Amino acid sequence: MKKLIQFKNIVKEFDGEIVLKGINLDIYENEFVTLLGPSGCGKTTLLRILGGFLDATQGEVLFDGKDILSVPAYKREINTVFQKYALFPHLNVYDNIAFGLKIKKEPRDIIEQKVMRMLKLVGLEEFGKRRVSEMSGGQQQRVAIARALVNEPKVLLLDEPLGALDLKLRKEMQLELKKIQQEVGITFIFVTHDQEEALTMSDKIVVMRNGEILQTGTPTDIYNEPKNRFVADFIGESNIIDGIMKADRQVIFEDKLFECEDTGFAENEAVEVVIRPEDLDIVPVNAGKLNGTVRSVLFKGVHYETIVETRSGTSITVEMTVSDSKPVCNPAADEEMSANDFYLDVTDIEELTKADIIARADAQAWKTSTEELVSISKVEYEIKAEKGRYPVTFFTQAGTMTTVEMIVDDVNKVDAKNETIYAVNIYKTIDDIKESIALDTDLKTWANAQAWTNDGEDAVAVTDVEYSFDPENIETGKYKITFKTRGYEYKIDTTDKYEEGMRVGLDFTPNDLHIMHKEGGGR
Amino acid sequence: MKVLRRFVYPYIVWAAVMILVPMLMILIYAFTKEGNSVRNFMFSLDSFKRFFSDPVFGEVLKRSLVIAVLTTFFCILFGYPAAYAMARSRFKIQLVLLTTIPTWINMLVRTYAWRGMLDNKGLLNTFFGLFGVGPFKMLETTFAVVLGMVYNFIPFMILQIYNSLEKIDKSYLEAAADLGANRVQVFLKVTLPLSLPGVISGITLVFLPAVSSFFIPKLLGGGKYVLIGNVIENQFLTAGDWSFGSAISLIMAAVIIISMYITRYIDKKTDPEGGAAL
Repeated sequence: MKKLIQFKNIVKEFDGEIVLKGINLDIYENEFVTLLGPSGCGKTTLLRILGGFLDATQGEVLFDGKDILSVPAYKREINTVFQKYALFPHLNVYDNIAFGLKIKKEPRDIIEQKVMRMLKLVGLEEFGKRRVSEMSGGQQQRVAIARALVNEPKVLLLDEPLGALDLKLRKEMQLELKKIQQEVGITFIFVTHDQEEALTMSDKIVVMRNGEILQTGTPTDIYNEPKNRFVADFIGESNIIDGIMKADRQVIFEDKLFECEDTGFAENEAVEVVIRPEDLDIVPVNAGKLNGTVRSVLFKGVHYETIVETRSGTSITVEMTVSDSKPVCNPAADEEMSANDFYLDVTDIEELTKADIIARADAQAWKTSTEELVSISKVEYEIKAEKGRYPVTFFTQAGTMTTVEMIVDDVNKVDAKNETIYAVNIYKTIDDIKESIALDTDLKTWANAQAWTNDGEDAVAVTDVEYSFDPENIETGKYKITFKTRGYEYKIDTTDKYEEGMRVGLDFTPNDLHIMHKEGGGR
Repeated sequence: MKVLRRFVYPYIVWAAVMILVPMLMILIYAFTKEGNSVRNFMFSLDSFKRFFSDPVFGEVLKRSLVIAVLTTFFCILFGYPAAYAMARSRFKIQLVLLTTIPTWINMLVRTYAWRGMLDNKGLLNTFFGLFGVGPFKMLETTFAVVLGMVYNFIPFMILQIYNSLEKIDKSYLEAAADLGANRVQVFLKVTLPLSLPGVISGITLVFLPAVSSFFIPKLLGGGKYVLIGNVIENQFLTAGDWSFGSAISLIMAAVIIISMYITRYIDKKTDPEGGAAL
């Protein structure tokens, strides 16, 4: 096959912002190429540069070996199907399609012949006289394709042309576009953010992100051998697990050695292992390579998406003391005030500010009659950097006051192998619990629950909050609250429905494992 | 929403009193004779007979239409390029403002200013005098009247066309270029036909006041330059013949309705055909 278009180091800057960072890409004759990426990745910009609607800041675009960047759009042998079709509203379907031919001053009978052939190709023979506004989205789409193809371009550019169609129509048009491309035998360059669309239609997919090309390859290549985490995540569903490459064809993850088919990695290189949900099988416990518990099951139409947790996350338990203390009343000043006792870490004392204390004690004052908040004007306390209980008193300008205790204790955290979770004991009133609209989130905030990785201290989400009380009918007393991070989870596509909480085994074969270099790591 | 609907009633009453009643009165006056009282209507077609029997009035009506057509023509001729330049300019808001500002000042005052410019000893002739040409007689000519009208009414034309040009989606122009049209072709085949609705509403906004204007011909055309608007004004203010004035107004209204109908017909014809009628 012959190279038709060559992008050479294309850079595009908008107001000082670089949206294309040196794109190099070859496109061959008769290829269906898809530029795939999230919005803002530069795919449309690249297409518009090729179409002639934007200038490149730097670089060359060769078309049939000739630089075309200086050629105006109307002289390029390229036609475009625009995102919203851009069909001329003042022309009917026939005249829209004939537009390009009339510009070229082709003889009337030739124009008619060509337009009729195009109408036939897109299945709209009867619609020539229709006004564009009378056509449905799918029909407009076909007119736009016909209007571009009738000029017999060497390349057809399609800028997210299926975005406005509903799912069923989109699927139909995908097949139809592919059929049309094979029939007319020219190069299609298709821009989309829909990975499924890309996989269905393309001969070649170009995955882009932040103005760069991440990977170029056939749909199967990109699906089976994604180069990095972003591509794996963007193209289809995947389980991505940290692992270590022991040697060629040997990878360790979840503390076990598995066989795989990948070679060419450094010894003991930290890698990421991709397993597609459809490649994993659920088997009885101990019959597979891993064991786990079914966490959730989602019905997806043709299959169930089953989440199996092989190792639970890190957890920490704190104590919540619930009291029924009521706000302090100061009828003289028409004010009320509330605050609660709170726990502090020894290490926090040094940096403790009044604002911190007010926040942690949840100290508030308000007008009894209007419920308008009143600011706390003074905080009185004495504290030493050692364990113990220290009183703190809050005042308003009008003299309303309340005293609570700060309890200084050791740092309460759980150090697991790879991550740490932290939380403090809390004091709350019955009203606090009952009035909370999002109790899990409030409990996390009150207890300051957080988790982070041990290497790099990246934040880890605290996903689960477990407690045994009934928030609607809570009484005074002490309650245990457990905060948890997510464990190792695998997404599996299954046809059978498994019960949540069931213990199961997971099985896969060596060629189900796809090993990637860690992003940012050496290639 | 139902509650809001009640607020419409006062408006309906107001509209009935302020719009319908005067129109009814014109209708009554046009078809009656002088000397009416509330109890005593005298139906008569005398006023219409008078209008059509005296060739002077037909002459005046024709002249008014010619002036209005000329005015509209020049408003399009100068207004379209101005609107086009505005729509493509980086200083759109400023230019729109610049077009609008003159209309904030009383029309009468601005028209008086033209008198000073066009007079035999006025600004323009003094200027020409520097080069030893002139003086040209400009005041009290058709030129002065059309100039005054174009000057007064062109902002309406410009703003209408500007609005319709602004509304044209850029992707249409890109699509045309993509299909091989150069700049001129893009303009003729896409921009122009898509801006026609603006031109049509501009025509409406210019032709209507132009055909019935009476103070511009009075000020710039002098007493001798009589248009239909002046005749109507005369009947009401000087001659005191309200019946005849009303009859002429009705004839005018008929002429306007017919011309509007023609414009709409052209508009409809050009719309689906894409400027084929142009």
